[in-house]
Amino acid sequence: MIHYLDQLLFAALPYAVMVVFLLGTIQRYRAQSFSYSSLSSQFLENRQHFWAMVPFHYGILTVLAGHLVAFLIPRQILWWNSKPARLYVLEVTALAFGIITLVSLGAVVLRRLTSAKVNVVTSKADWFLYLLLFVQILTGVYVAVFNPWGSSWFAASATPYLWSLIKLNPQIGYVAAMPLAVKLHIVNAFIVVGFFPFTRLVHILVVPNPYLWRRPQVVRWNRDPRRTGAIES
Amino acid sequence: MSCREKRTRHGAAILTLFACFLLSSAGQAQEAANTFRQSCMSCHTIGGGKLVGPDLKGVEERRDREWLLGFIVNPSSVLASGDAYALKLKDEAGGVIMPTVVGMTRERAEAILDLIAGESQLEESQFAGLDIGDEPFSEADIERGRQIFRGDVRLANGGPPCLSCHTVEGLGGLGGGRLGPDLTKVYERLQGRKNLASWLLAPATQTMQPVYAKASITNEEILPLVAYLEDEAQIGTADTTTAQVIFLILGLAGAVLGFVAADSVWRGRLRAVRRPLVRGER
Repeated sequence: MIHYLDQLLFAALPYAVMVVFLLGTIQRYRAQSFSYSSLSSQFLENRQHFWAMVPFHYGILTVLAGHLVAFLIPRQILWWNSKPARLYVLEVTALAFGIITLVSLGAVVLRRLTSAKVNVVTSKADWFLYLLLFVQILTGVYVAVFNPWGSSWFAASATPYLWSLIKLNPQIGYVAAMPLAVKLHIVNAFIVVGFFPFTRLVHILVVPNPYLWRRPQVVRWNRDPRRTGAIES
Repeated sequence: MSCREKRTRHGAAILTLFACFLLSSAGQAQEAANTFRQSCMSCHTIGGGKLVGPDLKGVEERRDREWLLGFIVNPSSVLASGDAYALKLKDEAGGVIMPTVVGMTRERAEAILDLIAGESQLEESQFAGLDIGDEPFSEADIERGRQIFRGDVRLANGGPPCLSCHTVEGLGGLGGGRLGPDLTKVYERLQGRKNLASWLLAPATQTMQPVYAKASITNEEILPLVAYLEDEAQIGTADTTTAQVIFLILGLAGAVLGFVAADSVWRGRLRAVRRPLVRGER
């Protein structure tokens, strides 16, 4: 029974979510291209927004980059980790960014709950996405603390598993006997991918990367308030 | 077409079929050898003596093939049926139950029994296991084993070091990984050198098997690892929670440092320019 469940979750689910991801993102772009946005609520409230969203994005992008590097160059990661001191530096750094991401996500959710204006524009899909992200980050931090050293065993086990999926020959033996938290982390990641096209996560596909290297723009604010009235910050 | 040409074509077809049969048999034999190496060798030898499980040399002289097939395909159900011989094997293995090999079928079990029968005829089977002897290990062996365990000396075939997933007491620093069990007392759990060496020769857990199937640990690495783990079992106690707590504290401290750094970098953001501007407008 468990064997069949593993087959379902680790050999069938990844392909099912990829189909949903591809068809869903294409269809949404064709039907509602202007909905490809983070639907930012910064305009409604920007103090809490800044202190929640900025650390969250630094945290999640660093952690995701770590996963990507271990997926792309596992041998080099194992080489780096061959000196325990270097392994410890990598793992402590990854854990710190994981905790930053978790705390920031908490701040994001708190803002959605406490700011009346932001609360109004929060959809059910948003709440479900926050739940998925919370499970994902919490299990990630849990695994980092209770099942270390993830950077090494990810490179040795998870990377060949993910490559086997890409090669259309799923080798679930790499992950089938992993601890429950690790399996939950993997399965939840697949669910996030499947849910991706129906949420504001689509903004990942339209990140305005040129902002990183374009020339700075000076925005002048010189209108006469006596004619237009005072403005709220 | 002449009779001679017909005969030549028939001959060629028969030869092709025969070659296919030989290739298929060779493929099955190779698969059985791989399966034995990966799934059986950590607990059994063929002619190398008892490990956790019995020596399988001439096993079909002790039990008939039908019983053996049933046991290999699903050991748990044979044990659950109350079979006296299976229960005796369990007792002799110190209560260890033979795991069900993932994907094991009757056909694959047949091929493994054929392999065991063939290897039993040889003077020394390739599956006789590793004989480390009873001589005391040197300090140099123990230190080299420690270095291999930690990863300072990398495994020759590129496998991840033990520290990735396992810890032992006295490792130093933040200790080893905790994906797999603490190995401080593994020497005692596996009941000695020979069993431990055989385990390392073909790690049989579901997580380790695929990783080390392509990156096996060599005999030259197994000896110092056994030396190190034997030494650890004598001096260590399996308690590594302190390292775990220190790791968590370091992670929390790093996160706090991150927030403090962010606050110092963005201290003036919104507060320094924009809000005073807005206030000035009022």
